[in-house]
Amino acid sequence: MGIAEARAMHPDIDVVEADPEADRRLLEGLADWCDRYTPLVAIDGENGLFLDITGCAHLFGGEKALLADLMARFFHQGFDVRAGLASTPGAAWAAARFATGHILAPGSERNFFARLPLAALRIDARTKASLESVGLRTVGAIMDGPRAPLVRRFGTELIERLDQALGRLDEAISPRLPVAALSVERHFADPLSLIDDIERLIGLLAATLKVDLERREEGARALELLLFRVDGMVSRITVGASRPIREPTLVRRLFHERLATLGEGIDAGYGFDLVRLSALSTARFDARQGDLAGEVEDGGEELAIFADRIGARLGEAAVLEPATVESHLPERAAPVRPYAQEEARKGLAGRPKREVRQAGGRPRQADRPIRLFRQPEPIDVPATEIPDGPPLNFRWRRALHRVARAEGPERIAPEWWREDADAPTRDYYRIEDAEGRRYWLYRQGLYSAKAVPRWFLHGVFA
Amino acid sequence: MATSAVARDVVFALRQKIAKIEGTLAERLVSPADGQPVAGLLVRRNGHASPRDFFLPTGVERLDEVLGGGLPKAALIEIHGTETRNAGAAAGLALCLVSGMLKERSRPRDLVLWVGTTEMFREAGHPYAPGLASFFGISAESLLLAEAPKAADVLWIAEEAARIVEIAAVVVELRGNPRSVDLTATRRLHRRAQDSGRPVFLLRQSAAPEPTAAPVRLVVTPAPATLRQTLLGPLAGSIGAPVFAVEIGKSRTALPGSFIVEWNPDAHTLAERRDGSENRIAVVSSSRGRAHPPAQAGAVLAFKPAVGEAAGNKPSREQHPAHRRPRRTG
Repeated sequence: MGIAEARAMHPDIDVVEADPEADRRLLEGLADWCDRYTPLVAIDGENGLFLDITGCAHLFGGEKALLADLMARFFHQGFDVRAGLASTPGAAWAAARFATGHILAPGSERNFFARLPLAALRIDARTKASLESVGLRTVGAIMDGPRAPLVRRFGTELIERLDQALGRLDEAISPRLPVAALSVERHFADPLSLIDDIERLIGLLAATLKVDLERREEGARALELLLFRVDGMVSRITVGASRPIREPTLVRRLFHERLATLGEGIDAGYGFDLVRLSALSTARFDARQGDLAGEVEDGGEELAIFADRIGARLGEAAVLEPATVESHLPERAAPVRPYAQEEARKGLAGRPKREVRQAGGRPRQADRPIRLFRQPEPIDVPATEIPDGPPLNFRWRRALHRVARAEGPERIAPEWWREDADAPTRDYYRIEDAEGRRYWLYRQGLYSAKAVPRWFLHGVFA
Repeated sequence: MATSAVARDVVFALRQKIAKIEGTLAERLVSPADGQPVAGLLVRRNGHASPRDFFLPTGVERLDEVLGGGLPKAALIEIHGTETRNAGAAAGLALCLVSGMLKERSRPRDLVLWVGTTEMFREAGHPYAPGLASFFGISAESLLLAEAPKAADVLWIAEEAARIVEIAAVVVELRGNPRSVDLTATRRLHRRAQDSGRPVFLLRQSAAPEPTAAPVRLVVTPAPATLRQTLLGPLAGSIGAPVFAVEIGKSRTALPGSFIVEWNPDAHTLAERRDGSENRIAVVSSSRGRAHPPAQAGAVLAFKPAVGEAAGNKPSREQHPAHRRPRRTG
């Protein structure tokens, strides 16, 4: 039926364009919210969710109570949901669509499916139509029939779906998010809305988490805080640690920084009724032995906490440490990476630089600038003394600099073992201008009849 | 004059007393009697302190003398660069001082934190570890970098870092005059430095001087570098050790003054510039690796070539695109 016909029948009909993207976002939001029941939530097509509640039902007072709680909460959020519970994903799918609210006891799938139409099997429309055209209208009609002709006629998919529905074949759902190694949560009858309360709660949850981590002899490298709002919104807040941690005070301080940055970013609304703290990744925690006075030898712990706090407030890349890598290209020779402790450093790419020592014991290096621009800045060079020589003057950021002295060139060719091996070579010059500022310039490419090479300013000397 | 001499004596005694009560470093006083700086005027903090704990000697004798022994070690030290394009010079002087600071510490792992705003690093260049290692001996392992978009966050990082024992010195770099960098902010940084006993260097690029809690403010401008030294003497036209022009903008002890200091990248020491300004522009570099050409016997006259150019003397075709033009014959 077209819009015109519909309007003819109901003149005051409201027409809204379909927005699959928004539908998808909504479904993902619901999936996030369903995390409160189980960490294994998968999105099924355009309008369904799979929840694997294996081992979770007893937390909510049994399967029946869980299903009732889920339906009631969705209803209060304003959603009309159909839910079914069964021991196979296929049966649960059918139960949700053809017998909402039904809980299938294990082993009762055959009886349940016998009465259902073929659409309950999640098969494509063409297969369904051709089965119906020969009079096979219910699952029961094909369940006990010979399998070989069915496979020959309709392919293996039909039989596979049937076996999955009846539990003869295992079917795995693919959860949206990885399951945290450990998580602790607390439900509230009266929702929390103050950030201070949440912070205090983090301390309590972390104390519980610490016991579990101690048992596993591990510490957390990444922690996630999930705040479930009463109206179904879920906030995820993640912090990382540069070395495994488990002290509740530390965890609380890290989240304190993170929450301080988010500030208004967390909308408490009507409050949070479930708060969960999970350890996303864990690593071996080496307990240190204290000396006689009870003082533990500290190996940069303070520094690690400092880096973590800054990372929590300003993002992982706020504290960086430079590395030296063997490369001719200046920008590649000193990559920076987020600060991490020794354990995390192992296995990082990049061979450490071999130091060429001279008699004095100091590594011998070519003169390099103390500041380098991430993007070399193009400069305007009106004239050079000789074609392959340094510029006489140059214009950088609209200011003219007269070159007083120049050293060079130092030719740096692209590294042939990399993909950009055919990039033009660079001739670097150390330049001092008339006022004593020292720069590192380069000419990209060589002079030729065809093109005039461009000049760039790449660094600044002390 | 007699009354005024007595008054000066009283003032002198009182200032000494105040310094003693406050437990701070006494100001460098000139004895009213003979006009000589008074020796032994140092008030010791907590009864056990030596001048080495108080001062970070720059190594420039005249500057140290004017500052009364060096820059205060447990303090905020403000270093101003006049323009953003002078950022290399201002950072250079701070790194000279940091390098000196690292040399006298003996912990197994001393770190230097260089923190600045994102804008600052984008405008003046990111710290480059190989250059810092070759000029100042600050290895990549002992360098930590931090950047934040806002000046307030940068100050927060600096304050937190000043507490940490592993971090020997903090270099804070800011551009312009953000509102969050006021007297209170500098006082906080100064207090942190005082508590920890380690310096915090506040680099301010292209900023107008503002009231500051830092006891010392140095204004740095670039100066022409020295020449490279060779066995045959200075090499004309070369760029050798970095040189900075340092001006004392504010100091509780020193009179305003300006100094031209030179950093020795091999010995890692600062010194006053040796060779005045005789090494200005030399366009042609002298021959390297060979003896100097002998002096000319007489005036050199330019003669026209007697015969036509030899074929070998012709510039190559690639060098002169004009030669490649097709020659049209009538």
